[in-house]
Amino acid sequence: MCIITISRGSYSMGKAVAQQVAQRLNYQLISREVLLDACSRFNISEIKLEKAIHDAPGILERYRHSKQSYIAYIRSSLMERIADDNVVYHGLAGHLLLKGIGHVLKVRINADMEKRIRIVMERDQIPADAARQRIQEDDNQRRKWTHSLYGQDPMDASLYDLTICIDKLSVDHAVDFICQAAATDGFKSTEKNLQKAKDMAVACRVKAALVDEFPHIGVTCEYGNVLIYIKGRDPMNAKLSKKLAHVREATAGIFHVETHAGSELPADAV
Amino acid sequence: MSIIIIASDTAEIEHSIAQKVAAAMDYQLLDRRILEDTAKKYQIDPGKLADAMKTTPSLFKSLSSGQWRYLLACVEAHVLDRLLADKIVCCGLSAHLYVTGVSHALNVRILSGDDSQSEKERENRLQQRKKWSMAAYNEDETELSRYDLVINLDQIDPAEAVKTITGAAGYRKFQVMTYSMKCLSDLALAARVNVALLKTMTDISVQARDGSVIVSTKAGNRQKRKKVETIKELAGKVEGVRYVEVHVKKNLLGVTTG
Repeated sequence: MCIITISRGSYSMGKAVAQQVAQRLNYQLISREVLLDACSRFNISEIKLEKAIHDAPGILERYRHSKQSYIAYIRSSLMERIADDNVVYHGLAGHLLLKGIGHVLKVRINADMEKRIRIVMERDQIPADAARQRIQEDDNQRRKWTHSLYGQDPMDASLYDLTICIDKLSVDHAVDFICQAAATDGFKSTEKNLQKAKDMAVACRVKAALVDEFPHIGVTCEYGNVLIYIKGRDPMNAKLSKKLAHVREATAGIFHVETHAGSELPADAV
Repeated sequence: MSIIIIASDTAEIEHSIAQKVAAAMDYQLLDRRILEDTAKKYQIDPGKLADAMKTTPSLFKSLSSGQWRYLLACVEAHVLDRLLADKIVCCGLSAHLYVTGVSHALNVRILSGDDSQSEKERENRLQQRKKWSMAAYNEDETELSRYDLVINLDQIDPAEAVKTITGAAGYRKFQVMTYSMKCLSDLALAARVNVALLKTMTDISVQARDGSVIVSTKAGNRQKRKKVETIKELAGKVEGVRYVEVHVKKNLLGVTTG
């Protein structure tokens, strides 16, 4: 009983691995569904959301914070989806969006560059150089995206529990390793882990509700007690109080809300 | 039957996992203890050898760049010779940086998941290793794509990691084949020639194939002929070398002169 996130570069056979893992463990396989949920819940076009999770933020977007909003929506939708456990998520940035939940097995699938080039050449009928360029651009975009939003390099091994290179090892081997790891004690969904996931889902719901108007806030939740961290010095400005009252009414699972101003955002804040 | 090369961000973890894998598979463990044999074989100071494995040369250290490269070449040649025996687990010798293109070598990186170290300490240590590996082999050892498998012990139990590694080593792709053994023999021969040449010269790069050796170097017009002759003579004396070809680049303008 755990949640498995599978991160991969483009054309690295990560999708095939995810499908087979889900099939073997009889887990729910999700990827695009999270985007669709976010689109309908927050009333945004799919194209905008897809662009937000694919392209690195441009200079203007860094000031508009639209990407932060979209990411908050996606994260909230993902948290709802994984609430029932037994899930394989192979959409973008699962390892970052679900960071902090104990029973998430974070997997990275890499593939040999030449193999990736061959796949693109065959699929799109383009020469090797063009295929290489396309893959490199995609990888760079992904690196920039992760760096600009999370300050981390997606190729940093410490972000993952298991990194498998599909070259000498096959898709079947990768599936074996992942299923084996998922069955170990470290990834069992304990009561504590499940509570943490529940709390994080509440924090994400609150963040998603506030992020448009207050992009710099951080939210944590512990047993339904929500803490809002604000960088500025004016915690109870009328706009935020009004909004919080509304969020509290509309969001299930909140017992108490508190705001902290002028302090650093904690590392586990969403 | 394969070679398992284990690298880690922590030397203790690297050794402990390698030991367990070797015991589980009944393989021989090749670790830093061979540095003493290497020192004896090439008549070099064991202290300097151990130092060369972790530091890079600088103006303020007694080890010059030429000496440093020679010491690393000695380790590489010795390790590659030992790896020809097969059924070996290798750790602590940076073999993941020079055993390349050998299909029966399983490259594994273990991340210690050590909470006692701060993020800054961890980053410093990684940067130091990255700097060393780039200077020594022009390869970034922290790059994920160079490993078949990377296991983070943050949540995965070491016993589980050992099980995963031994399982992977049993796969057909890691079985010794005539071609993969030939690749390893070629690497070992090139490394032996490298040692023979680096003892007295610098700017050397060696490739070997079926006993034929290609040496690339740099020299000015005046020294070119003499350098080619010396290289042919020294390389020709190395056991297993049948033919030596030398490519010389001008060391000032970088023009290939053939």
